[in-house]
Amino acid sequence: MKAIGWVQRLTPFDRKLLVVVAVLVVLSFLLPLTQKAGARVVVSSDNRIIFVAPLDKEQRVELDGPLGITVLQIKDGGARIVSSPCPQKVCIHMGEARHAGDLLACVPNQLVISVEGNEKGEDTEYDFISR
Amino acid sequence: MTSSAVDSPELEQVRRRVFLALFVALAVALHTVEVLLPNPLPWFRLGLANILALTALFSYGIQALWVVSIARILIGSLLLGSLFSPGFLLSLGGGLAANTLMSVGYKLWQNKIGPVGVSVLGALGHVTGQLLIAWLVVIRHPSIWMLLPFFLLFALISGIVNGLAADYLLASLYKHPAFAGLKKKQDISNRAAHLEG
Repeated sequence: MKAIGWVQRLTPFDRKLLVVVAVLVVLSFLLPLTQKAGARVVVSSDNRIIFVAPLDKEQRVELDGPLGITVLQIKDGGARIVSSPCPQKVCIHMGEARHAGDLLACVPNQLVISVEGNEKGEDTEYDFISR
Repeated sequence: MTSSAVDSPELEQVRRRVFLALFVALAVALHTVEVLLPNPLPWFRLGLANILALTALFSYGIQALWVVSIARILIGSLLLGSLFSPGFLLSLGGGLAANTLMSVGYKLWQNKIGPVGVSVLGALGHVTGQLLIAWLVVIRHPSIWMLLPFFLLFALISGIVNGLAADYLLASLYKHPAFAGLKKKQDISNRAAHLEG
């Protein structure tokens, strides 16, 4: 009885509200499922696109930057950086990009790797700076 | 104590000002102490200062809520040296969203909603407002919204905890004769008396 003592301090309305909110919070965990799968990976360096490839074709790519070669691996519908000459290796720790809008960046080696969705107009929606 | 239910309006007004100043001071103290607490995950804050905003709301109404929380954010950020920094914008955005939701909830369900209900609304508003500001100002990337479920879950828990704290605080404040003239007083002290009795 002591353990549920705090519930007694709520008004009946509060209790109903808590149940509704709890359900909404649980539902919000489904949010990541609404993400669209990416279609292709686009690599740019110094604002120029230097490489484009579809995400469903398995391959390893060597990307040239000011510091040297950064290796990008495309596998199982995702892209990740597997080796890089940069000092902090932040880009490697960013893990895998697989959804439309996902981004990997290696700042020291001036590489930005973004995943784009299928439809052309759709994936620019999130960022009106780049439009 | 010479106060009674028939105090003059002037005395009632002075008393209200004094208590609001006290609530602001306590909220600033909690805001500052909370920053000193170890923080395993960035942005996860308990929002203890909101206890005082809730207390102000249930004692003196919606205007008092805004006074206490906006003053707390301004003074707290000034003390911590984060005024007008990105962190301050997050704090302010969260505070505005939280206050809006709390005011609407309080107004809409005036005689039914208690401190815990309002607190949970405020906590949810706070994280949503913060994430909105973070998305607009700091990281313009949609993946940031993937954090929302975790933030909401944490807000639900901290909202309940803060609401209960406010409920206890209100129940004991209302035993004091200085709060004898308040309207809202009735149901909270009734509920508390029922629990203790």
